Amino acid sequence: MFHFPKNLFTDVRIETNDYVNYCTVNGEVECNNHSQTVSILIRVFDGNMWYTCSINERNRIQEEIDNLADLAQRNEKIYLHPAIINFGSHRARILNCEGETDLRKVTPGQREELVARYISSCVDQSIEELRSYGGNYYSTHRIKEYYSSKGAEIVQDMQRCSVWVGSAFEVEGVTTWGGKNIQEATFDRLRGREQEITEALGRYLDYARNAEDIEPGDYVCVLAPAATALFTHESFGHKSESDYMLNDRALREEWVLGKKVGNEKVSICDDGSLRHNGYTPYDDEGNQARETWLIREGVLTGRLHDSKSAWSLGEEVTGNSRADGEGVPMVRMTNTYMAAGGDAPQEILRSVQDGLYIYSINYGMGSSTFTMQPDLCYRIRDGRICQPIRVNVITGNVFQTLFDIDAVGDDLEIFDNFSCSKGGQTVQVSAGGPTIRVRRLTVN
Amino acid sequence: MREKCTMRINVSAVSIEENRIDSFRRGNTLINTFRVQEEGILGIHFQQGEISDEEGYARARQNLALNRPYPFTLETGVRSRDMTERVLTNRQLMEYTEEALEYVHSEFPEFTLNGGFAQSILYFGQENDRGLDYSSRDCTTEFRLSFKHKESRELHDGWFSIGQRDFDMQKFRAMADNYLTAFGLSRDFPKEILVQMRYYDLLSLLAGSLNAESICLGTSLLSGRLGEKLFAEHFSLAHDVSDAECWNTPFFDGEGVVQKGDRLLYIENGVVLRGYADKRIARKYGVEHTGSACSACADLPYNGNVNLRIKCSDKTVRELLNGSLSVVPIRYGGGGFNEKGEWVMPVQLGYLCDGERLLGRLPEFTLVSNLFDMFGEDFIGVGCDNPVFHDKSILVRMRLGKSRG
Repeated sequence: MFHFPKNLFTDVRIETNDYVNYCTVNGEVECNNHSQTVSILIRVFDGNMWYTCSINERNRIQEEIDNLADLAQRNEKIYLHPAIINFGSHRARILNCEGETDLRKVTPGQREELVARYISSCVDQSIEELRSYGGNYYSTHRIKEYYSSKGAEIVQDMQRCSVWVGSAFEVEGVTTWGGKNIQEATFDRLRGREQEITEALGRYLDYARNAEDIEPGDYVCVLAPAATALFTHESFGHKSESDYMLNDRALREEWVLGKKVGNEKVSICDDGSLRHNGYTPYDDEGNQARETWLIREGVLTGRLHDSKSAWSLGEEVTGNSRADGEGVPMVRMTNTYMAAGGDAPQEILRSVQDGLYIYSINYGMGSSTFTMQPDLCYRIRDGRICQPIRVNVITGNVFQTLFDIDAVGDDLEIFDNFSCSKGGQTVQVSAGGPTIRVRRLTVN
Repeated sequence: MREKCTMRINVSAVSIEENRIDSFRRGNTLINTFRVQEEGILGIHFQQGEISDEEGYARARQNLALNRPYPFTLETGVRSRDMTERVLTNRQLMEYTEEALEYVHSEFPEFTLNGGFAQSILYFGQENDRGLDYSSRDCTTEFRLSFKHKESRELHDGWFSIGQRDFDMQKFRAMADNYLTAFGLSRDFPKEILVQMRYYDLLSLLAGSLNAESICLGTSLLSGRLGEKLFAEHFSLAHDVSDAECWNTPFFDGEGVVQKGDRLLYIENGVVLRGYADKRIARKYGVEHTGSACSACADLPYNGNVNLRIKCSDKTVRELLNGSLSVVPIRYGGGGFNEKGEWVMPVQLGYLCDGERLLGRLPEFTLVSNLFDMFGEDFIGVGCDNPVFHDKSILVRMRLGKSRG
């Protein structure tokens, strides 16, 4: 397909995206667009440096390969470079999104009807506190091609569509925004979800009317599955991305495989082969996805790799080299979840005399200290969920908190409405977990 | 009527990974938006890469079928602005990176460095059948380094970045010296927490609250309060794209509207004057049109294009501190504003500072404030100089919240 220069490693990634965005606010169409984009990243490696170029016109690829090759130093042993040895050379064509379920076949009428139906059936416009409401349909269909001078030729596709319905409720000058976002791989699965949306909007109305401010302090916290999912991703998932520790002695000593890093009830896995939002059958270095257990029963058992980090740490590639659009691949999570335990969620709640129930989270960040900004929280008193609580931020230490998890529910859920930002790139991921209890988290 | 918006981005970047230059990257992106207006309806076509005007407008005409109302007269005007001071060659970019890296590595060998040096050239253009012909060009560099002490168990400890139009190695060295020398020194909190930081993160809720539609719908914290003095006497806030501190931003909005003097006040001496509105929002709610449209690539322009800047004091940051010491958050995140306007932010790396010089590292802490306090009774000012960040610093009195136990 391309003429790759001799004695250099070259790879080309082409992403062809199809986006649709339709939204209404208070019954008026605010956006209605359909666009296509092409993102191309070309890389040449001479064993010392990468020379890369991002463009968005296919007919310039060969010209840019040749330009980059002129900058590089020819290296007869380039294919013996350990990082290049780790690059995949698979040939595969995985097109799961063709046929009747191809989101590009959804008509403007279908998406408009979907949003209008949910607005009419789920938004109660007679609610006194309602100030604004809206609905949104969004879809993306992506074909990703990967070609390398090692012989890799991979074409794979993915698609996601989502519907969001939300409202703004104003009580005594304070406005609470809330909504329900449902994300699926096919359009038909977005239908018939009225009950979930209505229930979610009801929670936000209750929150707007009744939320009380938290008294800052340390609390026993029960995390609902959606909160555990984000905790897992932020608190531990990012620590497992091993491009942070290539030649770092301190981190290598800290993260020795076989080290006990958490309660024995805690097991965490990343698996790009699962058909969830982080589905990545082949990564952006041509390597196949696989199941990687990061923690098993509280013991550090693995980490996530690209070709370079696997070579650098003397471990195997895991299929976690991912990039967004024109970005350079980095070690990224795919579908990351805390495994189900053996505790019943109701029993976990009943065991807490005074604490917080973290139902959902807006966003979080993770390093040794992780932070999470809750969306909906409730007080737990005498084992029962009570009134909604307004919490701004929850913090904890990763190392301590993994040990402080002392109950793990049997209600694992994987959530597909996650995306993850790192190094200026955003990739689609899923995150999952069951209900868990944490002995102590700091709440403000 | 026909209108075309063009954006061209050329990026050259040298990447540093674990103290060595790892890669060189070039990026060239061309985006065109074609608009065709017929009988109050707008058709739009978004195109990456080269396309003839004839074909672009033909596709925009096909898009009229979506029936998107746009009953507004297109703008007129001719103006061109180029903020470019210097364009580095790829070779210069590489040599500066090598020199900077060598300096930091030799002076501070106990740190592992990641990041890079990038040059961006941005061009925005807008033209239409009524004679509008606007163009805006800028060329900026950013040297950004995250640092990690070799004994640290963190993924990274902190970062600094310096943005310039004409790269000055001395300023880069001074910034590296300031951040990395102070890292090894441990300090305690001053009696009063006077926070010194770039102010963009603090403006997020206020920017959203100034949206005229939110104000009219009753969903803004400023709803029903236009004309009231809600903030400090010395706090004024304007959309401002007038001077050299306007960075990679065109002087016109997504509908081709230009403000007189390239600025418009929203808050003057603490009094909220107006909300921002594009043409559609202004007509829908009967409010003042403020030329605040964003140019959506593939859709109608939408409300929200404001480049908000706080009026500077005539004093430097150090003069504003008047002998006190400040607290400078460097690595923070995960908190923010809640719907009541309360602000809580956990800070993983913060320094004690005399306004210019970082004096040492503080223990982890959490900052607490409130929208109306931070720009009201707790607002000290924005210095007229650019210490610590090579950018404007705000000084705000805050409280310490509950820290991780």
